[in-house]
Amino acid sequence: QQRIEIHKLRDGDNLILGFSIGGGIDQDPSQNPFSEDKTDKGIYVTRVSKGGPAEVAGLRMGDKIMQVNGWDMTMVTHDQARKKLTKKNEDVVRLLVTRKSLENAVRQSMMQH
Amino acid sequence: MMQEPQEVVEETVTIEEDPGTPTSHVSVVTSDDGTTRRTETKDNVTNMKVTKVVKTITRRTFQPVILTESKASTVPPSTPTPSETKPVTKMVKTVTTRTVRQVPLGPDGLPLPEGSSPLGSYTDSIDRRYMKNGERFITPQASSTLTRSYNNYSDSYNDTPDSQFRHYALHDGYGDVPDNYGSLSRGVNYRPYRPYMPTGGYRPENSYTLPIRKDDYGHVAQPQVPMGSSTVDLNRSQPERFQPEPYGLEDDRRSLGPDDEEPYDLEPDYSTANRRTLPGRTIREPLRNGPRVRGYEDPIETELIDERHPYIHGMYPAPLAQPERGSLASLDRMGGRRSPSIDSIRKDPRWRDPDLPEVIAMLGHPIDPVKSNAAAYLQHLCYENDKIKKDVRQLKGIPVLVGLLDHPKAEVHRKACGALRNISYGKDHDNKVAIKSCDGIPALIRLLRKTNDMEVRELITGTLWNLSSYEPLKMVIINHGLQTMTNEVIIPHSGWEQEPNEDSKPRDAEWTTVFKNTSGCLRNVSSDGAEARRRLRECEGLVDALLHALQSAVGKKDMDNKSVENCVCIMRNLSYHVHKEVPGAEKFQDPSALQGPGSAGTQRKKNDDAGCFGGKKAKGRKNGEHNKNYDTLDLPKRTEPTKGFELLYQPEVVRLYLSLLTESQNFNTLEAAAGALQNLSAGQWTWSNYIRATVRKEKGLPILVELLRSDSDKVVRAVAIALRNLSIDRRNKDLIGSYAMRDLVSNLPSGQQRPAKNLEEDTVVAILNTIHEIITDSSENARSLITAQAIDKLVAINRTSQSARETKAASHVLQTVWSYKELRNGLTKDGWNKTHFQPIATGTPKGSKSCKPGYDDTTLPLMEKNQDGYSTIDQRDKDSKYKSSDGSSDLQEREPLKNDTNRKHYIRSNRPTVSLVDACDVKPQPVDSWV
Repeated sequence: QQRIEIHKLRDGDNLILGFSIGGGIDQDPSQNPFSEDKTDKGIYVTRVSKGGPAEVAGLRMGDKIMQVNGWDMTMVTHDQARKKLTKKNEDVVRLLVTRKSLENAVRQSMMQH
Repeated sequence: MMQEPQEVVEETVTIEEDPGTPTSHVSVVTSDDGTTRRTETKDNVTNMKVTKVVKTITRRTFQPVILTESKASTVPPSTPTPSETKPVTKMVKTVTTRTVRQVPLGPDGLPLPEGSSPLGSYTDSIDRRYMKNGERFITPQASSTLTRSYNNYSDSYNDTPDSQFRHYALHDGYGDVPDNYGSLSRGVNYRPYRPYMPTGGYRPENSYTLPIRKDDYGHVAQPQVPMGSSTVDLNRSQPERFQPEPYGLEDDRRSLGPDDEEPYDLEPDYSTANRRTLPGRTIREPLRNGPRVRGYEDPIETELIDERHPYIHGMYPAPLAQPERGSLASLDRMGGRRSPSIDSIRKDPRWRDPDLPEVIAMLGHPIDPVKSNAAAYLQHLCYENDKIKKDVRQLKGIPVLVGLLDHPKAEVHRKACGALRNISYGKDHDNKVAIKSCDGIPALIRLLRKTNDMEVRELITGTLWNLSSYEPLKMVIINHGLQTMTNEVIIPHSGWEQEPNEDSKPRDAEWTTVFKNTSGCLRNVSSDGAEARRRLRECEGLVDALLHALQSAVGKKDMDNKSVENCVCIMRNLSYHVHKEVPGAEKFQDPSALQGPGSAGTQRKKNDDAGCFGGKKAKGRKNGEHNKNYDTLDLPKRTEPTKGFELLYQPEVVRLYLSLLTESQNFNTLEAAAGALQNLSAGQWTWSNYIRATVRKEKGLPILVELLRSDSDKVVRAVAIALRNLSIDRRNKDLIGSYAMRDLVSNLPSGQQRPAKNLEEDTVVAILNTIHEIITDSSENARSLITAQAIDKLVAINRTSQSARETKAASHVLQTVWSYKELRNGLTKDGWNKTHFQPIATGTPKGSKSCKPGYDDTTLPLMEKNQDGYSTIDQRDKDSKYKSSDGSSDLQEREPLKNDTNRKHYIRSNRPTVSLVDACDVKPQPVDSWV
């Protein structure tokens, strides 16, 4: 697990994070290319725009978003997740994400020992 | 099934505005903590004094002045009509001070047969006064008991302002007083007096601090016994303040907030005591002050008043016009007693505040400023003081005030309106009726049309809001004011434009006080039954404007304010029974609805399938065969843009309500939005079918389910009932069964110990009924129920709940579960047996228990009693459901349905993957949102 803080970029009236999400309990989890467990309805980072705030902050495609500013994102609809991320009155978003590669790294390291 | 979803809950609750804002405002804001409070309370307590106090408060200077001599100087300023916002206080001062003095002097000698101890004092009043004046009386005991009490009493009236100070300063003195009283009179009297004690000049200490003043007031006060009594009542009011009426506006609280109840623990006591005592007081002593005093409470009042008027009239003009003169005159009287040098103007007896009849008489004074001052003073007096309001009413002051609404001078009609607003506030409906009886409502509406003054408009609409809380006045308001309020306030402030100008971009709603008040008024009147709803629906531009305002609120993410709450509540009420009440509704009735749920079960299913739009995305969907696609099939073609009441039930509103449900933090708004969906999804007509499907399509189900976790009981309840109505749609039922069951169950109490939320009985029953609805005709959902560990809870409720309604509702659920034979095996393995699923016989024969009566208790009465209030879905619907659900006969009927495994399978096959949002409705491709 990893904490990532993204400072939104202002673009006109909009605040931009520079990534896209997929998933949610209202979505078909089997179509999520990033999840290992195909029943996982969590929110995943599907794309990260080049040079955008998210990338700068270290967010990667395929990261699973566990929390946004402390809000649980593992049992929310797609739209609820989107809303939590796009609050206009917040310039900073703090994410708690898990990354498969991280998990793998951890797992591997554990196995080694 | 049995208990129909209660369709809509209309807002019975009315919200009233708080009247007194101005007064309290002033005092609170300006003065120091202690002082302020005091003042306020006191204000209420003593009319006359109040004025003074207020002044003091308002102008800082005063307070200090008071003690000293500066008083005189201060007073004069008051003369001019107050231009300030808080007119009341100022006004009061002027008026008050000058006028009354003499009056007291005049012997009214009405005999009061039942003079209570205080009365006794009256006899002595003259002496007494002197005594007071001459503070020399220091020895409390010296004065006879009666006298004393009297004195105190009187003091309290007059001195209140001072007394406030004293309270602070002279606390010690108080203690003594009570004792004296005790000896003198009965305990009752004594208590009330207490508060005033400080005022009483008896104490040496008191005399030291504020001797002069007291005396002055004391003199004055005595004569005005009546005032005193009123004062007492005022005290009473204090406690009320603290506990604003349940429905009071926030304003009230605001104003109230400042006063701290605690510091003055005594006051509450007083208040109560006062009440008790009051009656006795009224009776009081005949001799001197009798007439006046009586006025308030006695039948004689009227006469007295009349008598007085001439007198007053004569007097007042002079003082007002020439304050000094007046004072002089008064001085003469008082002069004897006291040395002028001692006290400042304040102290001067002359500056007695006018008593109520005098103030009311002044409303008819030929000089406009006098009128407006009098009205402002009245407003001040009436703030949060039910007794004074009643007195004003009995003194026939209300028609006079209403008459002033048509006065050409803004100052006059503004103040009159302010007074009416305060008078109209509160639970005493007689005041509201009195305003209506003298045609106050049309007068207010007339003024609303005429004036552009924002403050006046706020006062008018505030008054109307207050009036609208009383049922019998609702229709009157609708008849006289609906279109005017809509045209003058709702439409302009909502930002809606009837014919949008292409140049101008759409305007947002402005959440002004006027809009808030008006929408509050309409919210109240919208709960007055079918006719009221019809009138509001058909009021041109109203629905359009309200919707526009709400949309603008959603757009601006400004959804927690009172105006939005009011608007949503209106919308919800207007949505109630649309399927039966809207012109042309019969054209849209769904024929399948005419059949009972049992027999219609299959058919319904088909419809529902269609409702999920399977046809469109029909990949591999079987339902294509009976597909009724609402989009194409049933939706009436619109040739022109929808407007007016049709907007209420267009599927577009679903998104609006869902946005409110998602974003608002205001429980009332949440409840109302859920209630609106509940109303719209009730009944069997094309639009409700469409609404139910749209809620699903717009992903509203998860939103609703999430709200089941709300901390607010009423939100949970409204949501639960909405889910019940929504589950009329088969697909919704499946979805809700799969995904909402856990949240529904978690709201149930487990055994006797309630969940964290401790929901009310109504809510628990609503949830149980929703569960029942969901598992009816769906063994799959019943299975989910079992999986959610609900059986434990249900059995516990069934066996141990203290609530008969909960017991019955739980019992019905259990019976339904047991009726699924295919589930029995699993249940048995879990250790349950048939007896757990049968109604518990508690004294009553089993049969009767499981039968209708159970349900009747809960739902039926509601429906029939008032359709407007809580009612169930649809009469038809209800009846059919009802029958099917209640009684053993039902069970029999039901069984076949449930056991109709074919059907179930069929259903299930149709929905391979149920996700909270219907799979059909979800976009096939994974959604990907850039953020």
